[in-house]
Amino acid sequence: ENREAMLNSKSNRLTEALEEANRLFDGVCRAREAALDAQFLVIASNIGKEKANELHSEMSAFDSTAFAEDLLTFMGINRTEVEETDDSEDVPGGFLPSDAWQTVGGEAPKYFRRAPTFHYMMGSFKSEPPVPKQRIERQKKASRGKAERAMPAQLKKMEESHQEATEKEVERILRILQTHFENDPNTPISFFDFVIDPNSFARTVENVFHVSFLTRDGLAQIKLDEDELPIIEPIKPSEGGVEDSRAGARNQVVISLDQTQWK
Amino acid sequence: QVSELVQFLLVKDQKKIPIKRADMLKNVIREYKDAYSEIVNKAGRTLQEVFGLQLVEIDTKRHAYILINNLPRAEGEYLCRGKEKEKMGLLLVILSFIFMKGNSVKDSALWEFLHLLRVDPGKQHSVFGDVRKLVTEEFVRQKYLEITPIPLTDPPEFKYQWGPRAEKETSKKDVLNFVAKIQGKDPTFWASQYAEAEAN
Repeated sequence: ENREAMLNSKSNRLTEALEEANRLFDGVCRAREAALDAQFLVIASNIGKEKANELHSEMSAFDSTAFAEDLLTFMGINRTEVEETDDSEDVPGGFLPSDAWQTVGGEAPKYFRRAPTFHYMMGSFKSEPPVPKQRIERQKKASRGKAERAMPAQLKKMEESHQEATEKEVERILRILQTHFENDPNTPISFFDFVIDPNSFARTVENVFHVSFLTRDGLAQIKLDEDELPIIEPIKPSEGGVEDSRAGARNQVVISLDQTQWK
Repeated sequence: QVSELVQFLLVKDQKKIPIKRADMLKNVIREYKDAYSEIVNKAGRTLQEVFGLQLVEIDTKRHAYILINNLPRAEGEYLCRGKEKEKMGLLLVILSFIFMKGNSVKDSALWEFLHLLRVDPGKQHSVFGDVRKLVTEEFVRQKYLEITPIPLTDPPEFKYQWGPRAEKETSKKDVLNFVAKIQGKDPTFWASQYAEAEAN
């Protein structure tokens, strides 16, 4: 209680309080009162110690209030205008401008050896990402176009290879047919003997498929023999060409062959 | 490795919080632990020769470092970001008060004094915002101020003193000159403070 008041070097209140405590102690007869008295002494001695400290630092009487007022002056306080604040009683009156602390701040660095804060001149990396993104997008579009273009080309190649494969097969079959006829020119081959592969139905179908090319191209013909079974024989180029133009006969034949028949 | 450490230190110093040796080892030096002192010394030399900055160890126990400016103070405007200048102003005022009052003040005395300057711990300040936080946390973390509790006080009271960074970045003489300038007096006016500043 009243600690600050007691600390004031000019006051004798501590001494007065000690004297009063002495007087009171004479009337003490109960333990509780003695305890209170002891507490009081502890606090009093603390205050005494602080006062001694204050004495040391106030040897050259630094007046902090005066310092504060001089600082306010330095900060550009306008003492003619009175600021309307709640605690305007205990604070020195006057209007403090908004740049008050900037004024002090301008003076301050002269008294410090502060390392300037290191900042990258060009700022942070934030400005970069948008640019690469655009580039990436453009590149993606470009590469996609190429990919698409690549695809049809690839497909074409595959198709071609298919065609080539087919053509090769057809040619092969034609040669087999021709070879057979060379060896035995007057015996046409039974169509079924020719195309059927005893081991594979799929192969058989393929063979029929290839043979159809031959007939379409006029390189072979399928006729019905006496037993009304189809036979196949190659056509010599000259013959075929002539016949075609004259007769213009093109027959469509549907041959059905399923697995059970094949077996 | 040395240039990496130099960059690391420069960036870390932005917040003005001391740089710990552990951080340096973990982030920069890593495998080269054995050459640690050599790398640090070389980095210190680079900082001095290239940037005019001094690498100072302020905590020999926990090995923490700060960077201070070794160049003579230049005249003219200082380039500062954000509220750096104003904070420095407030700090200078606080350090002056502490020194002039015998190098140690009670928190109540400090806030009583700041109240005269319209700076209050409870109120939001137009420039500093939460002043209590700035003074008791930021300035302490940056090692400009040191706050220690006073024993046997109830409710607990604290004493404020200069922190190690303040000791390195400024001097009693500088601070006395500031007070003298503000009050329009000669530094010798305060005899004991003057003597102490000269002895430093």
